[in-house]
Amino acid sequence: MKITVYLGTAGVGKTSVAAATALVRARSGQKSLALLADPSHAQRAALGLCDGAVEHCVEGDFWASVLDVRAALDDMVRAYAVRDAERILRHPIYATLAESLSGMQELMALERIDQLRRRGFEHIVVDTEPSHQAVRILDKPELLVEFAGSQWIRLISQTYGVAEMMGMMTMGRKAFETFSRVESLLGGKLVREVLEFYSLFEPVSDGFAARAQKVVALLKSSATEFRLVTTPQKARRDAKFFSEALRSRGAGLSGVWINRVWTRGAATPAPGSPVSETIEWYRCMQAAQQREIDLVREEFETRVMAELPHEVDSIAALDRLSGR
Amino acid sequence: MPSNIRILCGKGGVGKTTISLAMAIRDAAQGRRVLVITSHPLSELSAAVSLEGLGAQYPGAAKNLFLVHLDPRELLAEAVQRHFPVTASADQSVRNAILRNVVEVAPGLKSVSFVSRLQQLAERKSAEGDPQYQTVIWDAPASHALLAILRGARAFDPQRGGPLGEAAQDAARFFAGSPQAIPVATLDEMAIEEAVDLAAVLAGEFGWRGPGVLLNMVSPVQDLEEPADDPALDFVLRRARVERERAASLGSRVGIAGLAIPRLIHSGSDLALLGQIGGFLEASAAA
Repeated sequence: MKITVYLGTAGVGKTSVAAATALVRARSGQKSLALLADPSHAQRAALGLCDGAVEHCVEGDFWASVLDVRAALDDMVRAYAVRDAERILRHPIYATLAESLSGMQELMALERIDQLRRRGFEHIVVDTEPSHQAVRILDKPELLVEFAGSQWIRLISQTYGVAEMMGMMTMGRKAFETFSRVESLLGGKLVREVLEFYSLFEPVSDGFAARAQKVVALLKSSATEFRLVTTPQKARRDAKFFSEALRSRGAGLSGVWINRVWTRGAATPAPGSPVSETIEWYRCMQAAQQREIDLVREEFETRVMAELPHEVDSIAALDRLSGR
Repeated sequence: MPSNIRILCGKGGVGKTTISLAMAIRDAAQGRRVLVITSHPLSELSAAVSLEGLGAQYPGAAKNLFLVHLDPRELLAEAVQRHFPVTASADQSVRNAILRNVVEVAPGLKSVSFVSRLQQLAERKSAEGDPQYQTVIWDAPASHALLAILRGARAFDPQRGGPLGEAAQDAARFFAGSPQAIPVATLDEMAIEEAVDLAAVLAGEFGWRGPGVLLNMVSPVQDLEEPADDPALDFVLRRARVERERAASLGSRVGIAGLAIPRLIHSGSDLALLGQIGGFLEASAAA
């Protein structure tokens, strides 16, 4: 099983490139899936993706799925919380957790990769969130920060219930101080809600950490390739940023895929023709792009893809993109 | 008091950061003190747009330009530290865990801290008593993140006491001041849809009606009658035609802010690009 992870900033065509890669692999006989971060309506329609996170067979061995962060979290809770799943899903703090915890996209990508691996896909293509932050998928995965004494919070939350009955006498003094402060900042009701949520959720987060660490190890192994998708204007700086960000995390950039490239025109305008200004502008743009591409090529494995005249909104368009 | 805050918003990749900095340099060069609040951590900003050479090329502007990145988690950590100072490292690790696991998941807390600090910066007075910043430009994150911040901050109960109550009051002044929201879009389907939706939400939920959508990276080609044999030229002309149709449709739906920044030849420094964009902004302001 192999994994290809596409990194890149916004507006470079990463989703299309990811889908095209999975299509190419599928055509060569591997059961392949593109896990897409944020496809447009047109892209969803082209691939036949409805709402929800399930894997969808597009054609033959080519599958696709949207990385729906909330759905992935819900699935995880249902699978691993056993008894308390419904209480967690209905809990007021749960919604905030899904929205509020930074890095949720990367954490749920790890969870989905784990699921897909176990469902028999031979090749998984991961379209990451279009941001510099997406490289944090390789960082230590934790949903909730471990306490130095991890039993402590469970003890407190249980004790809280008891302490109220016994007038706070059984709580240790330091713990009591801590919670007085937090209560005065947030309000007692909110603190109780959070503690209750935590004690319900802790088994889910522990199980997640174990699975996620295995996936991170897989991402850092030779089974995984990291590629950058970029445009000519952004190529140099994106390549520098992402290659360094990967290197500092024990991985490497296997290639730079420069998309939206303008191909060289052949015509020379007749002097004074109304078209000559346009052609000249195009030539300058194209030459500037070529300079950037050549500079990146000096340092990285580079592949160039031409800008298509319309949106990539069909399988045929994906074929054209990958055919370059 | 009318707001001095301008919010550049819209889909990722349309040029919010670039345009924010171009606007800021132009204003700063004219002697106004400008604060840019950017969505990028400052250590990573040059990965998006580099200000290398600013001091040498535009010394006047460099003096008047201020840049900050507000990280909601850091703001929260500071608030907690003020409210709940601990020094012993064992207590610190407990405190950090409480911060991450308890305080961070409190609904709206990060949002209200962010908006509160933004408003405080916008209201800051200089030693002489006049506004510290004549212009505050918020280079906002992508639309869903921006709306999460705005909605979370506005929903936060201002009757709460203590530091959070104060933050909620700062946020209330922010919303009452009606900052100028400027959605930015390039002329492609997704960017346009997002800008239109965002403009509708900002108007409907917050009552903010800005000057319209600012178009970026527009193809600057004139319409040509003759057909193009050259496939490259044909590509450009076809694209320009599609862009013009989209711009017209966008104009009729939300209005265009009287300005379309063309796709510029970008070679050499970012600073040169920022200067060029500043020139377009200047020309349209004068028009």
